[in-house]
Amino acid sequence: MSGDRVGIIGIGQSAFRSRRDDASYPDLVREAVVLAMADAKLDFDAIEAIVYSLSPDAMVGIGNAERLGVDAVGGRNKRFLRINTGGSTGISSVAAAYYHVASGACDVVLTAGADKVGECGDSQTVLNKIWDPTYERALPLGTINMLAMSAVRYMRNYGMTQEDMARVVVKNRRHASLNPNAHLRKVVTLDDVMESRLISWPIKLMDCCPQSSGGAAMVLASEQFIRDNHLDAVWITGLAHRAETYWMGDRMGNNPTAEHADAYALRRSFEKSYKMAGITEPPKQVHVAELYAPFSNTEFHAIDAAALCPPGQSVPMMRDGMFELGGWIPVNTSGGTLCTNAIAVTAMARVAETALQVWGRAGAYQVEGARVGIASGNGGDHQIFGTMVIEA
Amino acid sequence: MPLKRQPAVIGCAIRPAIRGRDRSLEEIMHDTAMMALADAGISIEDIDGIVVASNDQFDGRAISVMMASSALGGVDRDILSTPSASEHAFVLGALRVASGQYRTQLVVAWSPTEVSSMSEAQRLGADPYYHRSLPLDELSAHALQAAAVEHRVPGAREMALAVAAKNRAHGAAAYPVSPVPGPFRWPVAAAMTSVPVTGAVGVVLADADFAAERGVADPAWLRGMGWATEASFLGDRDLSTAPALREAARQAFEAAGVAASAIDVAEITDATPYTELLAYEALGLASREEWAARLTDGAFARGGRVPVNLSGGVLTHNPVFCTGLIRIAEIAQQVRGRAGKHQRHGARLGLAHAGSGFAMQYQAAVILGRDARA
Repeated sequence: MSGDRVGIIGIGQSAFRSRRDDASYPDLVREAVVLAMADAKLDFDAIEAIVYSLSPDAMVGIGNAERLGVDAVGGRNKRFLRINTGGSTGISSVAAAYYHVASGACDVVLTAGADKVGECGDSQTVLNKIWDPTYERALPLGTINMLAMSAVRYMRNYGMTQEDMARVVVKNRRHASLNPNAHLRKVVTLDDVMESRLISWPIKLMDCCPQSSGGAAMVLASEQFIRDNHLDAVWITGLAHRAETYWMGDRMGNNPTAEHADAYALRRSFEKSYKMAGITEPPKQVHVAELYAPFSNTEFHAIDAAALCPPGQSVPMMRDGMFELGGWIPVNTSGGTLCTNAIAVTAMARVAETALQVWGRAGAYQVEGARVGIASGNGGDHQIFGTMVIEA
Repeated sequence: MPLKRQPAVIGCAIRPAIRGRDRSLEEIMHDTAMMALADAGISIEDIDGIVVASNDQFDGRAISVMMASSALGGVDRDILSTPSASEHAFVLGALRVASGQYRTQLVVAWSPTEVSSMSEAQRLGADPYYHRSLPLDELSAHALQAAAVEHRVPGAREMALAVAAKNRAHGAAAYPVSPVPGPFRWPVAAAMTSVPVTGAVGVVLADADFAAERGVADPAWLRGMGWATEASFLGDRDLSTAPALREAARQAFEAAGVAASAIDVAEITDATPYTELLAYEALGLASREEWAARLTDGAFARGGRVPVNLSGGVLTHNPVFCTGLIRIAEIAQQVRGRAGKHQRHGARLGLAHAGSGFAMQYQAAVILGRDARA
């Protein structure tokens, strides 16, 4: 391996909750930063740049709220910029931090953010504003009914049932019960999910992610710095982003980019990440995956897009328990987005949890022998996708 | 630290004032991208990645990068956004090219004026407990900074008026417009600001291999780049100074390996003339003790030693959110010899300052050269 890789040397995450009345928004950022800095065993003087992870301003009710976070991340008089790609913001921020190091501009970069989705009033009212004000906002679209339409299409194309969706929930809740930082940690049964309140057919309450409050932070560094300072690290060996169209109306057509059942751009992003990392047969080479899936149905097309199975085979493989802890390729061992969604840092948590797995630091939900992991983030209206390969 | 690969600006579209209401925001973005690509002599197929910057509150949308993916050719492409500042999109685009993982980047920022009150939209960006109730908008924060400068520097008001007169004269020569004086906040007079207008800007970045392969005749090489932020609470800052810009300038000049005296032409984000004065000092162009003399001897005027804001600056065109990236694009066009009526003849090394936020919280300095290195 060449000497100019980019490593992850510190990770900090809040214990995510519905509300954090004890902490202001910058306090939550600070909480995660303190944990990440302690994990990296570095002083703030070592940090040369900060990438601030914050999705829609409206979620925290403050325009350009990253400005308020400058002090929380120790950013004064340092390089500082903010990333927003919606739900993928967290992984996009890690990617931006990666480019700070990979470009040669910096040796050590901090990326951090937080969200208070649980305290924003109603996230779907905010998220309706992501659509075009003239045409699609008025339907009214929200992220739930948007992905309910994807679920209907996926059912038609691949035979997914509501019980299959419930299986994802049962699996991820069981995983989350082992993760002290997860928001929804209560184990549930198939019947619990099937009997939960209908939100937007076929998505029921338990098929949905929660609205979480909490922060996350990571420290990235150059291989040279890591070697010189004898630090422990895991490595980002592949990364990419790809986007789809903005318009929901353009997801209904006869070309691959218009198939709303699938995640075309997520697949393309994974292809590029795998190529960079030298992964040619993902099912044989990937040991663990944290795939951004805020609704149970979307985990299926995420697994398909990650090429962990042939398209549509994720459904029967899920029935066989192949994506559970102890299964073939465990997916969302932390409980995933389905159990914790503090939007600004949710996709960063996917990267962080993958890093912890290949690092052998995932505690009660550790996948034995995991050396290669993948992470993804979805942002916008299931539109902007970021992916990474992380290796020990 | 030196960048692993040196990026160059190979195309720009500067649209500092888009008049009329016959184009939607998506169309403005598309037009801007096509103009920047045409200036670079390449097509969207040559673009490996896109970085955009916009402001959700000005756009009246949440996650306004979303609509860019279709309008700018983001579908099946890699697109990121830096809503902190337009100049940050340039920074990230340059870092991506420098990483060697992208040959090209398209960087676009826009700033519409359809919001019912830009002042109120900006006020949403103040912290909800202290600053918001003042009430504070960006011009109010700039005015507090102006007052601090006036307090510390005798004669600062006359100097600010001289800076404004210089930029108005430059603007009148550069663009066929009559700028409308803007709102005022004591001590910033209406003659020192201009009314916000709709604008957009696009920049195409490429690495040396791409530029050579395409026979790009006039790349503007990135010689140095720095960026930094001030603390967020105004009370934590001495507004009569610009330490973050000093740090950004240090990064840029250190990377470029040149002194400020080597700069042929500069563009400074003159949100008010006082911010231009502070930038003279932080960028190393003139200490506050030298401001009056340099304004008197015309060092920063057309024909002077280092003309500043030959474009007329923000005082001529104020598309609020894009003013930083426009400064960078103006300098790129200067060193490419494509600045049109306001070209400084023979400009080989240019300095762009981009600042934004309350009393210029975010600061950046970018040095571009006709030559790849010193």
